[in-house]
Amino acid sequence: MNSAAFRNLLRWLLALAATAFFLAPLLWMFAASFQTEARIFAPGFSRWFDPAGWTLENYADAWRRVALGRGLFNSALQVLLVAAGGLVVNTAAAYAFARLEFRGREVLFALVVMLVILPVEVLAIPLFFTARDLGLTGGPVAAMAGLTVPFVAKAFNIYFLRQHFLSVPRALEEAAVIDGAGPWNLFWHVALPAVRPALATVVVLDLLAHWGDFLWPLMIATREESRTVQLTLANLFTQPPVQWGDILACAVLATLPVVLVFRLLQRHIVLTDARAGIK
Amino acid sequence: MTAWEKARARTAPLFLLPALALLAVFVVWPLLRAAAWSFTNADLLAPGEARPVGLGNYIDLFTDARFLRAFGNTWLFALLVVPLQTALAFFLALWVDRPEPAWRWLRVVFFLPVVVSMPVLAVLWTLLYQPAQGDTMGLVNAALDLVGAPPQAWLRDPALALPAIAFMSIWQGVGLQMMVFLAGLQNVPRELLDAARIDGAGPWQRVWHVIVPSMRNTFVFVVTVTTILAFRIFVQPYLMTRGGPGNSTLSLVQSIYETTFVSQDLGRACAAALVFLALVGVLAGLQRRFSREDRE
Repeated sequence: MNSAAFRNLLRWLLALAATAFFLAPLLWMFAASFQTEARIFAPGFSRWFDPAGWTLENYADAWRRVALGRGLFNSALQVLLVAAGGLVVNTAAAYAFARLEFRGREVLFALVVMLVILPVEVLAIPLFFTARDLGLTGGPVAAMAGLTVPFVAKAFNIYFLRQHFLSVPRALEEAAVIDGAGPWNLFWHVALPAVRPALATVVVLDLLAHWGDFLWPLMIATREESRTVQLTLANLFTQPPVQWGDILACAVLATLPVVLVFRLLQRHIVLTDARAGIK
Repeated sequence: MTAWEKARARTAPLFLLPALALLAVFVVWPLLRAAAWSFTNADLLAPGEARPVGLGNYIDLFTDARFLRAFGNTWLFALLVVPLQTALAFFLALWVDRPEPAWRWLRVVFFLPVVVSMPVLAVLWTLLYQPAQGDTMGLVNAALDLVGAPPQAWLRDPALALPAIAFMSIWQGVGLQMMVFLAGLQNVPRELLDAARIDGAGPWQRVWHVIVPSMRNTFVFVVTVTTILAFRIFVQPYLMTRGGPGNSTLSLVQSIYETTFVSQDLGRACAAALVFLALVGVLAGLQRRFSREDRE
């Protein structure tokens, strides 16, 4: 074998090993969720190929034992409300900071930027009291409001969208003004379409980030009917009797929606700051 | 200002108000309240009856063995994760920065764990780390067994629990940092790389003397973000080990959470949260300082 072919082979083996390293845990989760309890930790790899041990029972059992459907519904509603509400208020604020003239704009924007690094872990404790004072805890509707309303306005999204609005060519706006566009039309028909990839990006990031929320729901969604799917999973994981198959089935169901959303929307994501690309 | 511009400026409050009002109520106000509580003996059940205690909570924190343990664990976690994850992400980015579709597939594979939620992965890795019992064992020990290494207790071993969680966290997060490095790689000037090649620089010399220096800001950004994310660790130890065994994986965030809801000592929890915030602020300040220099 000549050395070029050997290096090529080595490169393929390395790619294969890396793929296995990153995929094996997820594939194991998926395969093990269809196994009878006794086979999940059984030794050897040959057991996977025996069709007799494959079952849907884990899914049925998990669905029965905890309010899994409710958890999935709550999570879906939560991320959709945060993403949709955020899209409206953050886009509007970002546009004002990028394009509208008003007194104190720079100071106000600097204050918003300071909030970008504020981790939710720092805020969670005092925010819990604010949410309680405002009646955003308790029953399913109040808890859903508590899960969503505090996270609609997001400093990072305002910052990110403002950068993209700034990169919309002024000439585009001037042409529209000459054509008689009012302030509202300028926003709706010129600026918004120009930043569509950035809008898609903040929506996807919001969906992914909040689907995995844990600390805040743990504090605010205490009743069973308001739990998100991650809490349902944690509950199944910690409450005896421990059934590994049920836990894995729940984990798979908590994963499929985000992976699907990511596959569908992935090509719309722009990771860079708009101005970085313009020299 | 023309009449048109005036009409446009009048719309500003309408655009701004919703976001600013929400930020004021749900971010700024809680933050101010936490700052105020941190100087009082506020109690979880009756925060209204708090009396001022000056710097008492802050002083108590640094004599509180449990908090110090959590603080130390969180630093140790960051020291394990940040260098390894940054280096791995950089090399993965160099490796997959090729146009052919096979490499795009590899990029998706590396990014997939980022998409899956952390609670799911924490539960999953607890199963993967299952110690050997009789002839049953988790996937990690099974893989070790395959190469003839002895099985480990992982999450149940006080010396291995934190490194095991760090390993799992790197596996989960490296894809995101790789994407940031990939974006940074696109901005490395081609002329510089070509010039280095003509001067006879080998691939590694090009990486060290051309790519790394011209990606300085990307490195500073990645290190800062990874460090802040590492300090925020909560879900993995909370679900995988509950902070154990023997507090060996107790995180800063879990100690704040428990100080509030278990000890019900709201004042001290708020002081801890503000120490945490100061740390994050210092890191963000360092990032600005180190990346400003070579902006135009």
